Amino acid sequence: MHTRPLARADLITGIVLLVLGLAVLAESYGMPRLEERRINLWTVPGLVPGLLGIVIAVLGGVLALRSLVAGALRTRPKLTGTESAEVRAARARLLACLALCLAYAVLLVGRVPFWLATGIFVLAFVAGFEWRREDDIRQRLGKLAAACALAAAAMLAIPYVFEYLFLVRLP
Amino acid sequence: MFDGLTHLASAFAVFATFTTLFNVAWATLLGIVIGALPGLTATMGVALLTTLTYKLAPEQAILILISVYVGAIYGGSRSAILLNIPGTPANAATTLDGFPLARAGRAGEAMGLATSASVLGTFIGVLFLAAVAPILAEFALGFGSYEYFWLAIFGIIIAGQMTSFDDAIKGWIAGFLGLLVAMVGQEGIHAEMRFSFGSSDLAGGIGLIPALVGAFGFAEILTVMRNRAAEMATGIVDRVIPKLSTLWTYKRTIARSGVIGTGVGIIPGVGEDIGAWISYAAARRASKERDQFGKGSREGLIAAETGNNAAIPGALIPALTLAIPGSAPAAVLLAAMLIHGIRPGPLIMVEAPEFVFQVVWMVVLATVAMGILGIALTRPLLTILRVPRERLMPIVFVLCVIGPYAITQRLFDVYVMVFFGIVGFILREMKYPMAPLVLGIILGDILDKNLRRALVLSDGDLTPFFTRPISAVLWITTLLIVLFALPPVQRAATRLMRWENVR
Repeated sequence: MHTRPLARADLITGIVLLVLGLAVLAESYGMPRLEERRINLWTVPGLVPGLLGIVIAVLGGVLALRSLVAGALRTRPKLTGTESAEVRAARARLLACLALCLAYAVLLVGRVPFWLATGIFVLAFVAGFEWRREDDIRQRLGKLAAACALAAAAMLAIPYVFEYLFLVRLP
Repeated sequence: MFDGLTHLASAFAVFATFTTLFNVAWATLLGIVIGALPGLTATMGVALLTTLTYKLAPEQAILILISVYVGAIYGGSRSAILLNIPGTPANAATTLDGFPLARAGRAGEAMGLATSASVLGTFIGVLFLAAVAPILAEFALGFGSYEYFWLAIFGIIIAGQMTSFDDAIKGWIAGFLGLLVAMVGQEGIHAEMRFSFGSSDLAGGIGLIPALVGAFGFAEILTVMRNRAAEMATGIVDRVIPKLSTLWTYKRTIARSGVIGTGVGIIPGVGEDIGAWISYAAARRASKERDQFGKGSREGLIAAETGNNAAIPGALIPALTLAIPGSAPAAVLLAAMLIHGIRPGPLIMVEAPEFVFQVVWMVVLATVAMGILGIALTRPLLTILRVPRERLMPIVFVLCVIGPYAITQRLFDVYVMVFFGIVGFILREMKYPMAPLVLGIILGDILDKNLRRALVLSDGDLTPFFTRPISAVLWITTLLIVLFALPPVQRAATRLMRWENVR
């Protein structure tokens, strides 16, 4: 039913959910009962969130217990050399993508003009992901030129299409 | 009966314009492109177009969204056949036989069969939409708070069970987390703040569209960039238009898959991917050539593509009549209807019966456009699949940022999108389905208000929750689903069935 690595992840998730559920229950219990407004006891705002907190805590507890039975605390088998290289490359691509997207959405958008933020992001993304160590200088320049062209097109076309054709306001 | 036909005829008159045909054509084509590109799902496409069309007239806006929806679910078959990557989750079953067919040099035949099956599947579903929606709406008029409470719980439990990867508890966790997300912000009875922690942004609640764009857009980008780049099976396309005799050979499979797909679509939150998988499994069980399944079976391909497209009209049935979506894209569509002042729910056949039949025509028009464009533009669409992901994904992410911002003009919604993207990615990596999470966000308000109202009505007495006829059906079904998901019960049921067979 389970591979051991997922059982470890399930154990952590289960504990997180258990804590989250209990925190939600505590927060719901502390919500105003609105006695001064003489509301019906059964309509207090914390009722449903509190019940959801209990359900999430129970499901988290079951998940954690089940993962313990599935061997979550046993040691994991080591990956082979080729698998590790593949996993490392995948992780590097994921982290690079995440970092670029976060830099754009959280740091650039709203702080610099949208067209400029978009241009920088598209250029960095395309140039970064198309860069290969084995490429010669001509190939690198070609790829960089393509990245610049795409970034310029995005800078011009996206604001035009959204603001002028679809009348949508941009960040 | 005659009322229905009158509404159907007058609804058609609304769409007999050049503007309508133009909108259907471009939106369906855009949907096909969105579906064909890995990293862009139907949910993301409908969510993005919701933000772009909210200034249009309601019927034109909904028409565009339905066209994108129909086009995208079909378009995903292209990458499934040629790249072995489902363009949308709904096309995962298509890869099993579509890709082997393409590798055997029969890509054109596979794409033609997928197109025909998608068209026929949607038509079967639309017949049910026209026939069942008015009946279900009338039936739902008898629902009270007790029934709505159980419907919300039933929706979460069945969606969690059917969409999880053989592990129902993860589906249920996703669903209950969705319900919890819906609790953030001002509650609907006393206007009290919940889980806002003094933030005015959180007080406004978590928007469905930012959450969806994150979970289905940003999370998908992370997945696509993490995985290795796919290679196209072939660039050469043989005969695309399928022979009628081939389709006639598989008429039973088409009819069965159409009915299954529609039925699965009606189930809250379950959607097109499960429609395709169940249709595929049923076709394999009934087939005389079952050993060919997974190796390039035309029947398998037809079953998967009929099943997923039939689920579209199926998913619209509960969305229109109960305001509970049958799939993730239908959830966005439901949100779009509310933005445009249309109130789906049991009263729709009283307040706006013509709208239900307009939706019927919208699906029909989109299906016709899908069939024509899908066949006519087979070769140009191959070019789109050759666009490298490194050049496509940054543009998709820019759209992910614009989409949530466009409706509310709050940067907070962009951050919500980012949050749900990261959380959605992590949850998916750990085999948590996203559909119950989305359904939970929609059902949270229904659950919250109806549980409290029902308790007020009964003065805290729980008996009516269990004794009213519809409530009883819902809670007993929910309980059975939970029981049958438990491994000891499953083992006992298997033993019992073996014993029966031996006897």
